[in-house]
Amino acid sequence: METIECYITGILPRPEELIEVTRAYDRARISREELENAFEKATKEVIRIQITAGLSYITDGMLKWQDLFRPFTEKLEGVHVGSLARWFNNNTFYRKPIITNRITCEKNILEEITYRKLIPKDVLWKVILPAPYTFIQLAENQAYSNKTDLMFEYAKILNKELSKLVNLGVKYIQLSDPALVYQPISKSISRDELSMVKAALDTTFKGISVKTCLQTFFGDFTQILPEALEFSVDHLGVDIYETHMEKLVKYSFDKGIALGIIDARNSLMENMDELVKLAKKIVKTIYLSDFEEIFVCPNCDLEYLPWKRAKEKIKTLRVLATRLEEELHG
Amino acid sequence: MDKLFPTQEIGSLAKPSWRVKGYQGDELTENEIAEAMSWGEKLGIANLEQLIQVLKNKNSPQRRKAILEWAAKYAIKFFEIAGLDVVFNGEQWRSEMYEHFIRRVSGFKVLGFVKSFDYRYFNKAACIDPPKYIKPIYLEEFLFTKENTTRKIKVPFTGAYTLVDWTFNEFYEKRVVDKVQDFTRRKFEAKKDFLFDLIKNVIRPEIKTLVDSGAEWIQIDEPAATTNPSSEEMELFVEAFNETVRGFNCIFSLHNCYSNYKILAKYAPKLQNCGQLALEFANRDNPQIGLDNIRTSYKEIKFFEEYGFSGNYGLGVIDVHSNFVEPPELIRDRILYAAKIVGDSSRIWVNPDCGLRTRSWDVSFQKLKNMVLGAELARQSLE
Repeated sequence: METIECYITGILPRPEELIEVTRAYDRARISREELENAFEKATKEVIRIQITAGLSYITDGMLKWQDLFRPFTEKLEGVHVGSLARWFNNNTFYRKPIITNRITCEKNILEEITYRKLIPKDVLWKVILPAPYTFIQLAENQAYSNKTDLMFEYAKILNKELSKLVNLGVKYIQLSDPALVYQPISKSISRDELSMVKAALDTTFKGISVKTCLQTFFGDFTQILPEALEFSVDHLGVDIYETHMEKLVKYSFDKGIALGIIDARNSLMENMDELVKLAKKIVKTIYLSDFEEIFVCPNCDLEYLPWKRAKEKIKTLRVLATRLEEELHG
Repeated sequence: MDKLFPTQEIGSLAKPSWRVKGYQGDELTENEIAEAMSWGEKLGIANLEQLIQVLKNKNSPQRRKAILEWAAKYAIKFFEIAGLDVVFNGEQWRSEMYEHFIRRVSGFKVLGFVKSFDYRYFNKAACIDPPKYIKPIYLEEFLFTKENTTRKIKVPFTGAYTLVDWTFNEFYEKRVVDKVQDFTRRKFEAKKDFLFDLIKNVIRPEIKTLVDSGAEWIQIDEPAATTNPSSEEMELFVEAFNETVRGFNCIFSLHNCYSNYKILAKYAPKLQNCGQLALEFANRDNPQIGLDNIRTSYKEIKFFEEYGFSGNYGLGVIDVHSNFVEPPELIRDRILYAAKIVGDSSRIWVNPDCGLRTRSWDVSFQKLKNMVLGAELARQSLE
């Protein structure tokens, strides 16, 4: 019998105590060491919460990540940290990666930022990284004659970094790709562009043997169908709060799906009955016979919520997964 | 205004440490008291010995009130001495633009901090009941400013669309659950209900109070205006602005910064009774003097002109996120460049990009003085 899995899909909010420490650090009132200690302590806590909540894969919470790109913006050669820009349609800002030269990677970027040592050996470790398309869409390109070249160079760097993480024990890799579906004014991404995205994902995941997912959010997933079904990932992530359900259920899937069904941009606790009903409808219609691997998860990074509320939402994930499982098998 | 390029502030000014610590009830150091003295003398504030006495007193409601009044007096004088034509109290009585408002209205519950960027956060609230007006929000500071200046006054007022966009919408989303099945529509419908209830129950009553008390110019601050650039959301923003200002005998302007001006420009002509758009440009412009292509960000005024906005512009000529003190000649060129695009110099007002709360008083003062000098140079070059 297939089980329904669950995990988180992005940066977690910093717990209150850590927020106080980061503010004190920002005002030069405490040392770097005190800051590092506070990050480590909070990371242990967010790992513990995920494990206790019964999540299938565990992340380190990414508490240190100032934005999804920052480790790359700061550590890649050829990239400068730019000014603040709005992160999609949120009251949250990221620093624009300014591509001033051809990008190369001399450091172990991901090994340095992830808290591998804090993840217990007996749990499955998941990492979350910026997808090539979103990276190039939100970066400012001053060096490449076309953005596609930049996308492929970034994909190659990502591939090397991912191989290192797999050697360290990563079991699940999610790429976050909001730009692929966030199209509030312009037309959807073109079919030609989608084929380049597919090729970039091929490059990114070449030789990577663990489970992979392309998580989309802030926009309608059906815009990239049916092409996304051919992407070289095991699972596709869908933001239920932005996706047209009637269009989604017209497709049949032969890949796993990560249902972004817990709303990370809304403090209201979800109505479980309603979510189970909706998830069941999706699963029953997109999988004609046996269903593939199914995940229930937050639609995007939980960092848009204060930590206390995010924690409550994390705790509902396994409850929701179990209820959905019962519904599907019952 | 009877002169070209009048100068104005946008809103906030940093709170001096004697204001922050004094209000918290903390004891002040000699240095902090000396700083209050030195600025007081520089600004020509009368009866400074009374302030010293207040600062040395023990914490009490009277002391806190007195400290707020002194801080407002200082800020008003700060703007006057810098030479601005339009002033306010530097928002010395507000914690910040969002929290000050929602803590004075019923129906909101503060949930905790969420990241804005890096190590900066904001205290985000949820709407848990229909918003209700319980007491004036900006009235007291307006009346105090009116008593303490003879300059023109502009009241900064956090706009309804931004308040709603920055708040979790629990009450209204719960209310539409049964009515709207589609998840993508639910949020939008609930947002509309929240927005227009907030305008009707709180925003308009507050504007009425201000106008009845003599406010002649209210600046609606809407940093979130283009957060959701879809046409549906932008139409909602326009509708909210128009409903906010409808029927009042008062001048209104809109302040928006760090946004998408291509989008805003398209909808700006639909804003009714919007006498001025105060916009941010300096942050994205070059520091070199000149009137040619170097003025990269100011080119965006063209968007507004092409779409047919006919009101005035509040031209952001000072970067509020940098300590670089813009020389008067640079400010002059920014003004002249924009005036040339608009083709009518009388439509250009001059201001910082945004509130100056993140800069020290020393830096803010230098920047504002140069802004006033730059406006004067621009005037001279057109004579």
